[in-house]
Amino acid sequence: MTGAHPLRSKRRRSALRTAAFLSPWLIGFAVFFLYPLLSTVYFSFTRYDGFRQPAFNGLDNWSYVFTDYPLFWPAMRNTLWLVLVMVTCRVAFGLGIGLLITKIKTGTGVFRTLFYLPYLAPPVAATLAFVFLLNPGTGPVNTLLDAVGLPTPGWFTDADWSKPALTALALWGVGDLMVIFMAALLDVPKEQYEAAELDGAGAWARFRHITLPNISPIIMFAVVTGVIQAMQYYAQPLVAGKVAAGVIGGSGQQFEPGYPDKSTLTLPQLVYNLGFQRFDYGTACVVALVLFALSMAFTALLMRRRGGLIGAGE
Amino acid sequence: MSSAHTGRRSSRAVLHWVGVHSLGVAAALFFVLPFVFLLLTSLMGDRQALTRDLWPDTWEWGNYAKVWHTPGFLTWWRNTLLYAGLGTLLTVVSSVPVAYALAKFRFRGRRLALLLVIAMMMLPPQVVVIPMYLFWAKQLDLSGTLWPLIVPMAFGDAFSIFLLRQFLLTIPDEYLDAARVDGCGEVRTLLRVVLPMARPGIAAVALFQFFCAWNDYFGPQIYASDNPAAWTLSYGLESFKGAHHTNWNLTMAATVLVMAPVIVLFFFAQKAFVEGVTLTGVKG
Amino acid sequence: MPRTGRLTTATAVLAAISALATACTGQGADTASDDPKADVTLNFWHGWSAPSEAKAIEENIARFEKAHPNIKVQVTGNMTDDKINQALRAGGDKAPDVVSSFTTDSVGKFCNSRAFADLNPFLAKSGVDKTKVFPKTLLEYTQFDGNQCTLPLLHDAYGLVYNKTAFAAAGITEPPKTWSRFTEVAQKLTKLKGDSYEQVGLMPTFHGYETKPTRLAAQWGATYFGADGKSNLAGDPAFAKMLTAQKDLVDKLGGYEKLERFRNTFGDEWSAEHPFHTGQVAMQIDGEWRASMAKEAGVPFEIGTAPLPVPDEQAADYGKGYVAGTIMGIASGSKKQNAAWELVKYMTTDTEAVVAFANAIHNVPSTLAALESPNLQVTPEFKTFLDIARHPKSSSTPAKADGGTYQLTFEDFAYGVEKGDVTDIPAGLAKTDQQIDTDIAKAK
Repeated sequence: MTGAHPLRSKRRRSALRTAAFLSPWLIGFAVFFLYPLLSTVYFSFTRYDGFRQPAFNGLDNWSYVFTDYPLFWPAMRNTLWLVLVMVTCRVAFGLGIGLLITKIKTGTGVFRTLFYLPYLAPPVAATLAFVFLLNPGTGPVNTLLDAVGLPTPGWFTDADWSKPALTALALWGVGDLMVIFMAALLDVPKEQYEAAELDGAGAWARFRHITLPNISPIIMFAVVTGVIQAMQYYAQPLVAGKVAAGVIGGSGQQFEPGYPDKSTLTLPQLVYNLGFQRFDYGTACVVALVLFALSMAFTALLMRRRGGLIGAGE
Repeated sequence: MSSAHTGRRSSRAVLHWVGVHSLGVAAALFFVLPFVFLLLTSLMGDRQALTRDLWPDTWEWGNYAKVWHTPGFLTWWRNTLLYAGLGTLLTVVSSVPVAYALAKFRFRGRRLALLLVIAMMMLPPQVVVIPMYLFWAKQLDLSGTLWPLIVPMAFGDAFSIFLLRQFLLTIPDEYLDAARVDGCGEVRTLLRVVLPMARPGIAAVALFQFFCAWNDYFGPQIYASDNPAAWTLSYGLESFKGAHHTNWNLTMAATVLVMAPVIVLFFFAQKAFVEGVTLTGVKG
Repeated sequence: MPRTGRLTTATAVLAAISALATACTGQGADTASDDPKADVTLNFWHGWSAPSEAKAIEENIARFEKAHPNIKVQVTGNMTDDKINQALRAGGDKAPDVVSSFTTDSVGKFCNSRAFADLNPFLAKSGVDKTKVFPKTLLEYTQFDGNQCTLPLLHDAYGLVYNKTAFAAAGITEPPKTWSRFTEVAQKLTKLKGDSYEQVGLMPTFHGYETKPTRLAAQWGATYFGADGKSNLAGDPAFAKMLTAQKDLVDKLGGYEKLERFRNTFGDEWSAEHPFHTGQVAMQIDGEWRASMAKEAGVPFEIGTAPLPVPDEQAADYGKGYVAGTIMGIASGSKKQNAAWELVKYMTTDTEAVVAFANAIHNVPSTLAALESPNLQVTPEFKTFLDIARHPKSSSTPAKADGGTYQLTFEDFAYGVEKGDVTDIPAGLAKTDQQIDTDIAKAK
């Protein structure tokens, strides 16, 4: 950076200049973050259905969510499952595919393209495709499993298999992580491997002591972004649940959220269920705040463990 | 090196090559087969799509025409392009100066600003959706339009700001100082010096934003769902199966049509894509 | 800054926000002062989406516009309740003035939240005696706590649609009247193929399209709420009996998992590939529209219709069934309520309009006069449903402040029972009662 400016007027000018450059974001921050966040807090203490005036009702909404709302704890458990299992699987698989692509010497470009393409499939389209592919009765996957004598799970229609099925969908779209890991792996200095090889280190030891430490910031990044995505996970479980239950866009009937057996319910879906189906805005805000607290907690936790995302250049 | 040694090495190398490439083929099947089944099903007749057959009896190319002529399908396209296109443009224009200031200006509260950007980045959109919906629908009477989705993008997107800032940090200050010495103001420095150097970063951010909007389902569901003329592809596609009582073959044909442009775009802009994705990670 | 100062600022900010948040929520009072003779355009939303149904609506509207040249009607179809609710709350120019919805369950929510205007004053102004126009059960499910915020627009009765050809092949001569006979017939009609089915007598699971717990509960004459307004699932033994009987049927037809797997091979409920049309199921619990839809799909077999069977001990009440219907109301935020009333009045009470619409979409008409109209096209298959609709013991699900949430809660429990997850049905029902009471209290 340039040195400090000596003159006061210059300093004021530079403050104005900074404000001008930051202004789009400052407005955005106030209007699309601070104001709605504070309103959410306010609404969470009111009874508000969109017609009658919001009326203060103390902790009613809060106690309803935590003790009486039958969908809250299942959704919480599902969200945690997704954070723990789905994110872990996705990072591990992305790393694996990234390693694989760095080892492939023939047709690398073709392989890379094929591995990457599913990532580009829009989530709603990809989910529709997977519900069809994993249809327990007629889907190609079970047809193939059956042909080789393997058990054929109920996938999106079985509460025990619906989240693994969603995980499969997430693994299919692992292209972004593959590319990130591929770049990181190629950045690891070759000399370190050569030195280790001379010392007689095996493949696992090299991976453990050279590869992993070198790419650990990238793994951290993959985990952080994965957790953010898991907290916002919405379209895929919603569409999968609706389509598998056979009620998609049907004749205006209320659909049961989280088919089958609440196993695809996530916290963001509850905000929709409470806010835009039951029109209990106040209670929806409680769930929104829980979601907020969780995402901030996860972010803080993950960023503290490493120098932090801001690290570079500070 | 003895020839025996070389021989052992090369046979090991061949084994290694075979092992790696068979794994590669297996993985490729995992990634590609869903597309294949999708395409095959989209060409089946109504009845056959509901059976376990994998290969179409008759090739119903007309399925695609039927989907294309579904009422609304073209409107969904237009809306999605508008949302993604205009939104991306606005995001880039509004995020670049912010990122530049955060990367290159020294001012009080810079760290705090950065922390807040990250907090915004981490914020699931559902957290603030109730007041935001009331704001757009009740105060501005704009529900059933795309504006509640597009307008906020004119005020900087946290993720884009963050990425751009990370990228701008890699531009050495000497370039900027040189421009300033030549008498350029900050705006001109930004436009003349920083922008050309930041092109890969901007391309990456633009692509991300474009796909974010293209794939967005929650936003259109909240703001646009009560007006079919404002539906986007993601929302329309989800409603497609129910609204038009269609079976899987047509649903899959629609799915293929929604996926296709993204994939075509990828083949044209492959380099920018890969660089963009890499950028997000490596600078992390 | 001293701490108190900061606190004051925070309070001020909060106060400002609450002011902002509330400033915009006022609703127009129920002033229906607009002139119904003035030139006006109404927004009308409905949920029909099949081309033939949308066409029927258009024709209906065209007749209305001809009779009321000053009123133009802008029609939007394929609207679900979520969207309707959302738009009503948002208000504004684009919001609908007149709404029709399939979801009878939503009446409680629509009335309780005052989303729809009370139609009693309009009925009075027009000199319409609603008790002379509409059948009693229909008036009941369109109002909530005396607030007649909707009127019935056609009507659905639920019965049994069956494949006569398959019946003959299995040597069955007449539709089953009691549940035990029903169970036998369903088993007889079931043909296995490998580890799945070629044809199942009936898809008995609660996701089998219209085979919903509420449809079956009506056959047992179950009462959802006690006189005190509290949920009555554990109090009325009918619920436990119904759930047990359904679970028994599921088990006898091959078990939950196998049936669900077969169900996943079915085409969409509203498409030509409906499993009844394709012969995958021989009997379907369904509404009055199914027989004509199957015919339109060109099925190669003969179709029969009958009321749903009743439990053996209630054989005398055979003929009853679950009834519900499309409802129509006026948005309380609408500034054109008198004009809107003209449309509602026309579509719901004009005999010619109701009959023509019923004929076009094969629904049961919803006024006494239309039910008797000579112009009503009555096929033998359709007559069954007219009779169900008129049966004195036919019943619906009551309107509650939480809309259909209580039914979802009950259905959720029923899913657990059919799957075999519930060992103690009465205890489970008692727990479900508590949940329902809590939710309704929350919605008030």
